[in-house]
Amino acid sequence: MNPVIEAKDLVKTYDADEAPVRAVDHVDVVVEAGEAVSVMGPSGCGKSTLLHLLGGLERADAGELSLGGDRVDRLSETEWAILRRRSIGFVFQAFNLVDELTAIENVELPALLLGASRRDARGRAMRLLERLRVSERAGHLPDRLSGGERQRVAVARALINEPLLILADEPTGNLDSKATGDILGLFAELRDARQTLLVVTHDARVASTADRLLTMRDGAIVGQTRLEAGRPTASALAGLLDLGDTA
Amino acid sequence: MIRSLRVAARLAARNIRRRPGQALLLLLTLTIATGTLGLGLSVYGSADAAWDRAWTATDGFHVSFDVYHPPDERGNDHFVRSMERRAAELADAPGVVAVGGPWTHLYGSIDVAGGREDLTAEIREPGRYAVDQPLVTSGGWLRSGDDGVVLEGGLAATLGAEAGDTVTIQGEPFPIIGVATTVSRGRFPLARPAQVWVTPATAERMRDLGMTVEGFELQMRLRDPADAPAFVASHRPAFRADPNSSAIAFLETWQERRADSHSDIDIVAGTLLIAGILIAILTISTAAVLVAGRMSARIRQVGTLKAVGTTPRQIVLALLLEYGAVALVATAIGIGIGLLLAPAIADTSVTILGTPQPRLTSTQVAIVGGVAFLVVLIGTVRPAFRGVRRSTLSSLASGARPPRRPGRLSRWASDAGLPVPAVLGLRSSWRRPGRLITNAAGLTFGVAMIVVALALRDSLDLLNTRIAEPGHAASDAAVGVLYDQIRAIVLGTALLLVTLGSINAFIVASFAARDGARSHAAIRAVGGTPRQTVISLIVSQLGACALAVVLGIPLGLGLWSLMEGGDLPETGVSLLALLVVAALVPIVFAGVVSVPARRLASRPVAPLLTYE
Repeated sequence: MNPVIEAKDLVKTYDADEAPVRAVDHVDVVVEAGEAVSVMGPSGCGKSTLLHLLGGLERADAGELSLGGDRVDRLSETEWAILRRRSIGFVFQAFNLVDELTAIENVELPALLLGASRRDARGRAMRLLERLRVSERAGHLPDRLSGGERQRVAVARALINEPLLILADEPTGNLDSKATGDILGLFAELRDARQTLLVVTHDARVASTADRLLTMRDGAIVGQTRLEAGRPTASALAGLLDLGDTA
Repeated sequence: MIRSLRVAARLAARNIRRRPGQALLLLLTLTIATGTLGLGLSVYGSADAAWDRAWTATDGFHVSFDVYHPPDERGNDHFVRSMERRAAELADAPGVVAVGGPWTHLYGSIDVAGGREDLTAEIREPGRYAVDQPLVTSGGWLRSGDDGVVLEGGLAATLGAEAGDTVTIQGEPFPIIGVATTVSRGRFPLARPAQVWVTPATAERMRDLGMTVEGFELQMRLRDPADAPAFVASHRPAFRADPNSSAIAFLETWQERRADSHSDIDIVAGTLLIAGILIAILTISTAAVLVAGRMSARIRQVGTLKAVGTTPRQIVLALLLEYGAVALVATAIGIGIGLLLAPAIADTSVTILGTPQPRLTSTQVAIVGGVAFLVVLIGTVRPAFRGVRRSTLSSLASGARPPRRPGRLSRWASDAGLPVPAVLGLRSSWRRPGRLITNAAGLTFGVAMIVVALALRDSLDLLNTRIAEPGHAASDAAVGVLYDQIRAIVLGTALLLVTLGSINAFIVASFAARDGARSHAAIRAVGGTPRQTVISLIVSQLGACALAVVLGIPLGLGLWSLMEGGDLPETGVSLLALLVVAALVPIVFAGVVSVPARRLASRPVAPLLTYE
């Protein structure tokens, strides 16, 4: 057992107008090195919050969090930022590319922040864009890219520092069917390359690319399924989970 | 139309209630502008009103004919005699209904604290005159048999003397019979030389003490005082001085004398008016930045309003009503402040005649209100129309407008190896060029005024170190006081402009932080530290400050070159002082901008990321 990330008893509560809402309720998560894990559940069940807690984008109210064997739940904002640039790659539903930077500048940004030379960062960024078949759009600003192109740029950005862990939040949520197909293929490639991956999704097709599936409801993990070779089809997976609102 | 107005008024009232801070900020900046303008205008008005009262009370002249020849210059006898004949002709000229003089002037000196002052003694027969009968404020007027002097009010005030005291003229003591006010001369010490009135008998004693004739004065009242300029224009060509002599003769209207009579108040009021105009210009950028920021923040609300049937006209009308209401309140407060503070400022004047009574004519009130509304109109219309021009769908769908192309400057910066936060900041700096330019314009005025204030300080310091000229002891001191006042106003204006520029910078940076919140969150999500995002935001705003320093320093030096010379010693601002300005302004600016930047950086990342 070689866990990349390990969360114990994570709790996150939001203040709401009427009563506090517990978005993450005593959750334990372990993701092993080279493992791809999907998290599914209905809207508002706390999937995205869990992902944010694991990536340090939000702070847990209680619980322990370790990354690569080191406790990280007490890190400062700056320490988290440095940890993210070195060890965590993020992929978001809304892409969250920096508007002012071109596609290739977005990709090389984490490398430059980590201290890579401009030449090295540019070379690695271009190779990733070529690998993701979006190199011809390298000099364009995000506003000029299609949704699928933006998400491929975002994946390239997440990969540039060869992180320990990639956290993806609804990576196909804003994409059409063709772009979704491209991203699915990409995530399958990442899994096959033994990239440690945790994907939060509504989409059973995305979930089916993982090794393991976690199911969340009302802030808690209510189920866990190992998806071995000969994975179930997306429709069978949706039936298995009985989610009702899968894409 | 009424329905539109009602809808717009309701929207405007709701907006003011929902964002009172922004309305208050605009109110504050507009009030500073209207207050300064109102103060300048009412100070100016108070001096004129006081002069008019003295002019009426003394049966002041409509046209004055003055002949002057240097006492130690020989060969002027022919010129003086010809001018005496001219004076007789003028006294009989059509339109002249009353004459005072000609009164002979003797030149001498009077002892004042710190030295001596040049003195003119005007010789008058005892009795009352139909023109320019000085208004006695202490003691009495000249009587037969008195061997003493009546002091001009400004001279008495400078000496701290009153009737019954003595003054030393030509080294000899003379009793003070009384103190009187006239409009035929400006008040000592800003108007020189000092003046006393004496009887012919006293004048004889003064001649024995070495005082010499330096000229005479004839004063006339016309049938209609408004005819004075035409009267002077028709007679002036006949009174050219002899080119071979330094003796001069000139005609002057009462309007010209009034305009020259309170130079200190005019300079102070003029400086205040210029300050008010500059502040008003800066307030345009405050209004523009506020409206533009609000429109970009509420673009979705505008979309919703349009979607439910509110017309673009109603939305623009609502903004105009909202800011128009602010302008109205600012005008009222500004005029109130002006009228309230004007007496205190006018009281510092050494030239004003009597008690200043500040006033503003309806035209002046309209000017102040007009400036406030103009500021609001210029600041509001463009961004408001830009906001409502967007299609309903795009308004509903999007937030801040993303950039269209990467900037060349940031590419160069990137290639030059600048740190990543600086490159990110440069990339964002041109995202809102309009705001950058309006912000830079305001700061430019601020920097220019700082340079002028520095130059003025050096020049006045130089003036203070000069040894007072013989015969100018008191007037040099009075000029020093006046320049100190001007320096205080210029420095105050510079500080106000820089403060307003900083407020603008703060607003711009706050809106920029909001616009860039998602990008900054994305940067932090991929490993940018909070400090790096703060630097990025500061760099993105520093362009305006850099422009202001680059343009403001030469502008200030240019303005100073127009002002120096004349009474002010010529001086330049030292290179070191300019370098300090060039360094300090961006540091202060960066400090101001860092406030919203730090606030943004302290927020958790996740809520700032877009989820659509």
